[in-house]
Amino acid sequence: MRATSIQKISELQRKPKCIRNICILAHVDHGKTTLADALIASNGIISQKMAGKLRYLDSREDEQIRGITMKASAISLFYEKESKEYLVNLIDSPGHVDFSSEVSTAVRLCDGAVVVVDVVEGVCPQTHAVLRQAWLENIKPVLVLNKIDRLILELKMEPLEAFIHLQQTLEQVNLVTSELFTTEVMEKKYQQTDGDQEGTEQTYDWTEDADEFEERNIYFCPTQGNVVFASAYDGWGFTIHHFAELFAKKLGVNSAVLEKTLWGDFYLNSKMKRIQKGAQSKAKKPLFVQVVLENIWAVYDAVMVRKDKEMIEKIIKSLDLKISSRDSRHNDSRVQLQAIISQWLPVSSAVLSVVVEKLPSPLNMSEEKVEKLMCSQSRRFDSFPVETQKLKKVFMECDSSEEAPVILFVSKMFPVEKKALPQNRQRPLTGQDLSLRREQARLRHAARLAQKNSPDTELVVHQDTGQLADIKDDSGGSAAERPTMKADSVQEEDDRDQVFIAFARVFSGTVRKGQKLYVLGPRHDPLKALEQIAAGKKVDLDGTLADLSKDQHVMTFTTCDLYLFMGRELEELDCVPAGNVLGLGGLEDYILKSGTVSSTVACTAFTDLYIEALPIVRVAIEPKHAGEMDRLVMGLRLLNQADPCVQVLVQETGEHVIITAGEIHLQRCLEDLRERYAKIEINVSEPIVPFRETIVPSPKLDMVNEAIQDQNQPIRSQRLKEFEEDDEVLDEGLVQIYTPNKKVMVQIKAVPLPPEVTDILDNRQSLRKTMYQYSKQYDHSGHVQKLKLNQETAEAVQEFRDKLDKAFCGAGKEWKGLVDNIWAFGPRRVGPNILINGMENLNHPSIWSCIQEGNNQQNPLQEFDQSVVSGFQLATLTGPLCDEPMRGVCFIVKKLELVQGKSGRSHSKKSLVSHMSSCLEGDSSRDVSHTLTSLNSEVNIQSGEINANDTHSYVTCYEDGHVTDGDDSESSAGDGADRESMMVPKQHKKQETYSALAGQLISCVKDGCRKAFQTCHQRLMVAMYKCNIQATTEVLGKLYAVIGKRNGQILSEDLREGSQMFNIKAFLPVVESFGLAETIRKKTSGLASPQLVFSHWELMDMDPFWVPTTEEEIMHYGEKADSENRARHYMNSIRKRKGMKVDEKIVEHAEKQRTLTKNK
Amino acid sequence: MALKQPTGQKRLTNVAVVRLKKGGKRFEIACYPNKVVSWRNKVETDLDEVLQSYSVFNNVSKGEAAKADDLKRIFGTDNQKEICLQILAKGELQVSEKERHTQLESMFRDIATIVTDKCVNPETNRPYTVTLIERAMKDLHFSVKPNRNAKQQALEVIKQLTEKEIIKIQRAQMRLKLTIPAKEDKKLRAKIRKIATKVELDNFEEELVMVVLIDPGCFAEIEELVRSETKGKGHIEVLSLKDVEEGDELLE
Repeated sequence: MRATSIQKISELQRKPKCIRNICILAHVDHGKTTLADALIASNGIISQKMAGKLRYLDSREDEQIRGITMKASAISLFYEKESKEYLVNLIDSPGHVDFSSEVSTAVRLCDGAVVVVDVVEGVCPQTHAVLRQAWLENIKPVLVLNKIDRLILELKMEPLEAFIHLQQTLEQVNLVTSELFTTEVMEKKYQQTDGDQEGTEQTYDWTEDADEFEERNIYFCPTQGNVVFASAYDGWGFTIHHFAELFAKKLGVNSAVLEKTLWGDFYLNSKMKRIQKGAQSKAKKPLFVQVVLENIWAVYDAVMVRKDKEMIEKIIKSLDLKISSRDSRHNDSRVQLQAIISQWLPVSSAVLSVVVEKLPSPLNMSEEKVEKLMCSQSRRFDSFPVETQKLKKVFMECDSSEEAPVILFVSKMFPVEKKALPQNRQRPLTGQDLSLRREQARLRHAARLAQKNSPDTELVVHQDTGQLADIKDDSGGSAAERPTMKADSVQEEDDRDQVFIAFARVFSGTVRKGQKLYVLGPRHDPLKALEQIAAGKKVDLDGTLADLSKDQHVMTFTTCDLYLFMGRELEELDCVPAGNVLGLGGLEDYILKSGTVSSTVACTAFTDLYIEALPIVRVAIEPKHAGEMDRLVMGLRLLNQADPCVQVLVQETGEHVIITAGEIHLQRCLEDLRERYAKIEINVSEPIVPFRETIVPSPKLDMVNEAIQDQNQPIRSQRLKEFEEDDEVLDEGLVQIYTPNKKVMVQIKAVPLPPEVTDILDNRQSLRKTMYQYSKQYDHSGHVQKLKLNQETAEAVQEFRDKLDKAFCGAGKEWKGLVDNIWAFGPRRVGPNILINGMENLNHPSIWSCIQEGNNQQNPLQEFDQSVVSGFQLATLTGPLCDEPMRGVCFIVKKLELVQGKSGRSHSKKSLVSHMSSCLEGDSSRDVSHTLTSLNSEVNIQSGEINANDTHSYVTCYEDGHVTDGDDSESSAGDGADRESMMVPKQHKKQETYSALAGQLISCVKDGCRKAFQTCHQRLMVAMYKCNIQATTEVLGKLYAVIGKRNGQILSEDLREGSQMFNIKAFLPVVESFGLAETIRKKTSGLASPQLVFSHWELMDMDPFWVPTTEEEIMHYGEKADSENRARHYMNSIRKRKGMKVDEKIVEHAEKQRTLTKNK
Repeated sequence: MALKQPTGQKRLTNVAVVRLKKGGKRFEIACYPNKVVSWRNKVETDLDEVLQSYSVFNNVSKGEAAKADDLKRIFGTDNQKEICLQILAKGELQVSEKERHTQLESMFRDIATIVTDKCVNPETNRPYTVTLIERAMKDLHFSVKPNRNAKQQALEVIKQLTEKEIIKIQRAQMRLKLTIPAKEDKKLRAKIRKIATKVELDNFEEELVMVVLIDPGCFAEIEELVRSETKGKGHIEVLSLKDVEEGDELLE
């Protein structure tokens, strides 16, 4: 039975002086949960025998199976020392790197921490991490050196060896702390020097720092009483203090002196009965060995090694212990040992007494911590309004009186099954309940009787049953529909068996049921909120998270259920005063992952949790059965809320991607999704990685770095060989193509864009979007009211144009001045590819028209314009290599001609409005084009007239107003005459053909672009991650091997100041990143973990279609060279994924003859 | 039937036969299975990997070689290799198991990719992934017909998916901007509203300007409507072919 009742605990909760909020931190498998078990056993919640085996706080099934803790869980313990009662709110935390976010949530709620270190393994990576975390959150740690039994039984150390080993371990731990300290000091100095740069050169007084050092007692030292030696598994633990008291009398030394000298280089001079220094130099046994370790060793020796019955009894007698006969007769000597030693030196009291003595109560919260909690580094505390600054005092006092404002911090939301809630649990029936039931039964019986007797009493029966229902409602089962569930419209009824409970701590005031509190969002600014209230603004605060507007950060919330954490169970409470950890129900609609709840708006939102491990492992998930998509989405939402360190996103491709901190974390998340949140089967796959396609100028070197001698010949022939028979291809990159009905001819040239231009284009996507939207409005035939761009955007556009112009000019002669000829961007009208109008005489309205005033001319080619641009958009969206978007490609429309098919004229080609670009034209064309322009303008005028007649005619008359090509210049005048006669619009006939023509033109332009692209040197571009890795010196080599294997490039490595860590920066292709984190961790035994951020697109300088041609290449790569070509490998895998044709043999070698058996 | 001695026979097993009927005669060549398609796709370039022997048969399984004068008469040459090449290029072939399998598989993928491309999840307005569509197609027991083109079959899949409600799916909507002269606005407006799934903008000043979302299948219908009703004076502009959510979204 439980040693403490809820009443007792809630009584204690009111005395902040007697509360300790602590968490247990350590590396994985150093014994946190075992220690927690021992502490829990001391409260009688679990049996002493089961302590260490049960792992009470590991309530999840997979935690038990895997044997690691995966979540932080809390329990309230009662401890009595020197007739003082204490309440210890203990939070157990996971040790695995993947779950370090859980550690963050635990640390935030505590004032002190118990850091456990396995003496055999010493300081491990996570020990570093947790110490840093404790340091950053300003919580005070005590140290438990655990698993000392392993020194005795496994390593078979002598007491003296063990002492030295312990000393070394302690030093290691202290080294970490001092590293943290120096780093912080150095950072502060940096900030200071940054602050007063002009100030005189400062000399740092290191001695002063050291003083400060001492003062803050950051070191662990047994004599300080903040170190416990323990073996949680065997259930024993002690502090120096404990032994000092035990042996003071025996040795005849003052216990205070003994306490000071028990640890360290002291020995007992038995002759002089004095304690002297310098045990090591005099080869004497240090006091610690003599007094402490040897005794423990003796017990182990007797029980475990020698199994000496008499000796055991002697020990039991001398220690004055009572061992039950069952234990002493037990066959397993370990059980005997545990029984003896855990009675002699119970670990729970050792740890708890240290906790109670050395760790601060909520009352002693340091000023520093309060400020750190309340404001982030970017903001000074003084900048908050006075009301907020006043709150600091409240914090420090931990005032739980009624007047004090309520402030709570929710560090995580965690799911609880509805049936596990105390309201829904079955309870033993009380006397009252019984009598109630009896009454009900009686009524029922009476009703039945009455019904039998006469039908008139039916009314009464109804009343009665109504009553019955009421009674039932009151008697316990009703809580199911308590307000916790209300306002939850997203979830369906059957999915509501999960309830989120906020894991929170009260920092000030008292929380009661039914209290109205504000939930403060992370960006809440007390200053603004106060101003708003002062201004008398009525703010609607009744929303939930879902319907919260953008700049509203405050919501109101009525507290409903308060719980006390008892490990796996929850106990209901009515009110919780300051300084306690509690569970708060009904917040799931208000708080996503963590948040601040307060009764005053003046309170700031607490700083975000510091999370050590950022999520990096990405996978795409989808339901196994396609119809269960919405359940998956809902499950993902719940998962996102429940886990502080998971990111869920929907990608543009429609994939649902979850990003977790590591592989184990991922597995847990998936398990949760399958079992708890979505309850469906799911499939996990590598996320789809995007690629880009581009073209490059002719390479000058071949694959074995030999210069290609004849610049044009071999390469060109190679590339163009495939297109030899294709008469549409004119030159490298230049394609001439007709629509299927042979009405329109276009000539398109593909050129790689200079990289600078692409870079500029990359950065201005949104700007181009605005420009496009603007032009859309404007484009539409004049009647739409013109929307003026605001000044800012106009300037930005201007700047964009100038930059582009400059980049173009820098790129070479042929690019000069092309800025004004830009027709469109693509794909999606904003992408990094350009369509350029290369027809000299076609005055397409510039894309810059939004900043150029008065340029309001009608577009003479409007109808075709749409089609050409659409064709271009489609082509750039799906490139020919593997249907991925293009990047950095420029298409120049050289010609766009209308071919008059059946006109019977000698020359069938009729230029629409355009001409060959200069290269093909002779000198004579100068004046020709001149005349043509004039003709053009005429056409424009005339078409203008027509437009005046019917502005929106489907087909405008340009087709009729054709002008001859340059070759036919002599006849142009005649043509002009002709044109006059042909001015009679043939609209009706053409109308039918137009829409078809538009469609044909689109596909024609698209094919043209693709073909032009194909005739150039095609390349794939891969997305690159920028990869930041922190690692220690020992693992650098292995780390480089991993990165090298995945085709990464190391950029730099720097030693971080004041520590042994290297910062390594590298680029890594996104395709190769799957599983990277896991491999790196495995190879470096967890000492390095990467962080990945998308950085840029990188050209893969390898032709996916490349085959060795020169002798050297064949020698180097063999005839097929398919193993080397990564570009081809990527391309083929994408094509396979998309179901496109892949140039791969179905079988590599034909199956040759086989000898048949007789019967076949 | 002539008695055949086992000796002196070269028995061809594991054969894929390519046939060509020309000049009233049937010619066959013996190839290795799974190789002919690769040859036709110009992936396989080594003829020895394709042909079992360079001789032309009348019947491969019976081992009847073609007569030389027949070849000469019909093909105009007696070079067996050249004739083999001709038959390889033009003859009808027996598609081998692996070839059929890859063909069907890639077609299946292709169909799924087209469906993915054309459709969205109506709730989120985001596309489904190819794998999900593939799975839905499997649930649908959709069988690929190798002789119909992928796009037709994709449309069929979409129809069946929406009918049987295996997943919530919808064609990605097309966004159109219609400009209709003032005269016809009344009668057209109602009709357009009937066709369109959503009317985003309905502005009447001098002329009617509407921005609507329609099912891409209705485009021809709406185009016809606008053209006939306005006698060619109405104007349709395609604002976007596919109205889908862009960019990544954090799920919260």
